[in-house]
Amino acid sequence: MRTLRRFLKRLLSWSRAQGDEERLRVEIEEHLALQTAENIRTGLSPVEARRQAVLKFGAVEAIKEDYRDQRGLPFFETLLQDTRYALRRLRKSPAFTVTVILTLALGIGATTSIFTLVHAVLLKSLPVANPQELYRLGKESRCCYWGGYSQEDEFSIFSYDLYTHFRDHTQGFAELAAFQAGGALFGVRGTRGAGAVQSYPGEFVTGNYFSMFGIRAYTGRLLTPGDDRAGAPPVAVMSYRLWQQQYGSDPSVIGGSFNFDEKPFTVVGITPPGFFGDKLRAIPPDFFLPLATEPLVEADADLNKTDMYWLDLIGRIRPGAAPASIEADMRVELKQWLRSHWGDMSANDRVKFADQTLFLRPGGAGITSMREDYARWLQILMVVTIFVLLIVCANVANLMLVRGMERRRQISLSMALGAQASRLVRQALTECILFSLAGGAAGLGAAFAGTRLILHFAVPHVDGMGGVPISASPSIPVLLFAFGVSLVTGIAFGILPAWMATRVDPVEALRGASRSTARTGSLPRKMLVVFQAALSLVLLASSGLLTAALQRLENQNFGFAQDRRTIVQIDPALAGYRLEQLTTLYGRIHDLLSSVPGVSAAAVCLYSPQRGNNWGTGVWVDGRPAPGPHDDNFAFWDRATAGYFDVIGTPILSGRGITDEDTATSRRVAVINEAFARKFFKGEDPIGKHFGESDMGASRQYEIVGVAKDARYLSFNLAKPIDPFFFMPEPQHDLLPNTTTDSDPGSHFLHDIVIVTQPRARLSAAQLRQAMASVDPNLPIISIRTLREQVAGQFGQQRLIARLTSFFGILSLVLASIGLYGVTAYNAGRRTNEIGVRLALGANRGQIVARVLRGAFGLVVIGLVVGLPLALAAGRFLGSQLYGLNPHNPVVILLAVLTLGFTALVASLIPAIRASLISPVVALRAE
Amino acid sequence: MKQGILPVGNPMDQKREKSEVRQGTLALMVLKTLDVLGPLHGYGIARRIEQISGDLLAVNQGTLYPVLLKLEQEGSIASEWGTSENKRRARFYRLTREGRKQLQSETREWEQTAAIIGRFFAVKAEDLK
Repeated sequence: MRTLRRFLKRLLSWSRAQGDEERLRVEIEEHLALQTAENIRTGLSPVEARRQAVLKFGAVEAIKEDYRDQRGLPFFETLLQDTRYALRRLRKSPAFTVTVILTLALGIGATTSIFTLVHAVLLKSLPVANPQELYRLGKESRCCYWGGYSQEDEFSIFSYDLYTHFRDHTQGFAELAAFQAGGALFGVRGTRGAGAVQSYPGEFVTGNYFSMFGIRAYTGRLLTPGDDRAGAPPVAVMSYRLWQQQYGSDPSVIGGSFNFDEKPFTVVGITPPGFFGDKLRAIPPDFFLPLATEPLVEADADLNKTDMYWLDLIGRIRPGAAPASIEADMRVELKQWLRSHWGDMSANDRVKFADQTLFLRPGGAGITSMREDYARWLQILMVVTIFVLLIVCANVANLMLVRGMERRRQISLSMALGAQASRLVRQALTECILFSLAGGAAGLGAAFAGTRLILHFAVPHVDGMGGVPISASPSIPVLLFAFGVSLVTGIAFGILPAWMATRVDPVEALRGASRSTARTGSLPRKMLVVFQAALSLVLLASSGLLTAALQRLENQNFGFAQDRRTIVQIDPALAGYRLEQLTTLYGRIHDLLSSVPGVSAAAVCLYSPQRGNNWGTGVWVDGRPAPGPHDDNFAFWDRATAGYFDVIGTPILSGRGITDEDTATSRRVAVINEAFARKFFKGEDPIGKHFGESDMGASRQYEIVGVAKDARYLSFNLAKPIDPFFFMPEPQHDLLPNTTTDSDPGSHFLHDIVIVTQPRARLSAAQLRQAMASVDPNLPIISIRTLREQVAGQFGQQRLIARLTSFFGILSLVLASIGLYGVTAYNAGRRTNEIGVRLALGANRGQIVARVLRGAFGLVVIGLVVGLPLALAAGRFLGSQLYGLNPHNPVVILLAVLTLGFTALVASLIPAIRASLISPVVALRAE
Repeated sequence: MKQGILPVGNPMDQKREKSEVRQGTLALMVLKTLDVLGPLHGYGIARRIEQISGDLLAVNQGTLYPVLLKLEQEGSIASEWGTSENKRRARFYRLTREGRKQLQSETREWEQTAAIIGRFFAVKAEDLK
């Protein structure tokens, strides 16, 4: 209680400091007067009486100091004092202040902008109620389809049948919801008015999806289990974004009728604004449809296929339920379910049965596919920006040291007058922290702009669709991060100059700064330059490696032609086409597009090269034993119309490509690539051989009619040799044994039209749209771009890291050069006398230049020696991001060393030459 | 840090701990003095304590003032301007009700402590056998 009262009094008296000071003065004066009078009474002379009185009173200034400490709040008072003092000093040297703040803003801004992304992609939970109660099945996301009765490593993707089995048997979940792993693209058309079909991303979800997330409708209602029953009236939920941007928040949308792939639905509600579905992704879904309507919309429905896995599962556990015991229960349930399908399982599935398991993992962040994709390069960028921040710190510390040198006399004087060393350190630190906070504030602005720029380049964006739900504007954690970084930065660059400031010998300094023996200032500054040179080398080498890797990727032999190729992306399913109509549709597309002036040929395929997706299967070569459970018999495949290989520019090496003779009724054929031939027919001639899909238990499905040159279709596995591929003619169907049903009807809904234009012909998108409209005005065009753009788009991330790292590398080089220039110039300046003497004694200017350069280069060489092992380590850290480029590539490392060396030469040559041009007379006179 | 670099420092720095201990005793003396003699100015208090305690305040009389300030902040004493013997403005301190209570409780505590310590000193080795 007393302490509290005292604190309040102190606070009060702090506000009226002047009065108290005066009171103490009067009291001391009065005390001394009374004591003097007393002393005079005892017989002392007035002068001696006063002297004795003062002696008896003690050190007046010290007592005043103590009194002040008692009176106010010394900590805050000095802090305020130091701050005011620092601000005054900063105002007096605006150029210095602006330079330091801008340098800091760059470093803090870069770090903060990468942290904004790290936070959004790697750390943040979904914007749903109590995300910590959510658990997902699976450690890694496995998009988008999986077949059979076994999965590698873990069950992490599920069929509807398996989902209902879990839902009905697991006690620990309050709600367990399922939703499409891959997401769908719907052709959407409002039924009022004859609007064109627009394609929008969407997702099939269970009826309890929204209640599991604890999400309420923004307006209208969300899906309920009642909507998710076979025969229930088809309803859909729209995203807030689409409702607002496309329909102007029109309330009549709710209850309105919309066609999805030409099937009528009613939109019943709008999701809340922040909600972006169950995973962070580049293009968030705009529609949510009940799982039960999937067979209604999709021609190739997966809902009722027991062993077609295409759903992700997230559940909200009951309060108090232990995730570990739920996981144990579900493993048992999985085995029960698999055992109940023993009869349907292949021999290989049965062998793998014992290994089948699953994992329950925290699901508050949703399905973290984006996290898995971006984690590595975000880590790289985070490390790079921390390096930049370190270099910035070193640079600012260097500037502060110079400033400290200039203030030596002032500090000496302060200390001679009794200033405490700790107080001087505090003053210096206060100044630094002020700098870094200002730098941090400016850095936030830089971070905002930087984040937007990175998002723009790093994440694909499609016009008319939602962008990635990551906000560049700083959130609370980002603000805290920036503040923390500023504080740490301020201390990091401030501590050395502050410590140096107190190492001043007052006597030495006051005697004349220019003559003092002190080399004290130069060692720390030299160390900083070495540090900067080492870090710069690491950044330069890293950016060199990343750029070289990117160039290697872009200039590799892709095995297809990029010039004069345009890809028009469509999806016949969006316009409600049925399987049996497709061959006719592709024929029309071919005929009508080929007749466009400037077009020399056109073909349609499931996925064009570097499209980012491909289908794969296990291969069984005829005449060989069936592949076992652990045999590597995987191959990718594609489906295309006649003339495809000519259109895409991949040469056929032997046999023939896909032609018009391959029809629905002719023998089933396939064209393979060289990798397929190497993998399955080592040395034999594959033409005329047969193979089939091992999953279907078939070995004689296809006859090989041709071998095409290897072409790089996959946008992953870029560091590895090209994978085995086979290509099938579009009109041919793989019939299930003893039926007339196609085993994979979805693969006939081809996505990509490849168009070759004539040399020097110009083809506009409008011409293509017009031609497509004459094919079918209701068939939505998803995108039109050149094949070159499509390929370049796959390396967007890689290009972005390479560019950002190069930018930071150059930045660090500039900062390091400034540091080196500063140190060299400073040291040359200090040696003016010495140089004057040398010149007077007959040294020539070349020798002087060499002398100064030798000093500067010594530092750079030490920096290189320190930096080289770090640069080699950085290469290893980049590892897989280099796509097979040697991480210790000598050319790149040598180039980095030469660049640093050359820049250092320029930076130190200027002060060296300037030093050598001093007239000896002037130099000797300058005392 | 190199020795001899700081020719002048704050003398209070090295003594702070010692003076804290003394401040407690000094505060009790101030309260008792004001209790016995009624309102007094700083010099008067200093003189009185010097007379009674001998040389405790023979040097550094000034240390009294921070103690007075602390006591006033805590509410044990109050002060106002008055006129001293030599007809000059002086600050007079008096005990408040709170200060009187504090003095009583601290006197009790002090006596108890003194009694206990006294007993300890009185004990001889054979008494403990």
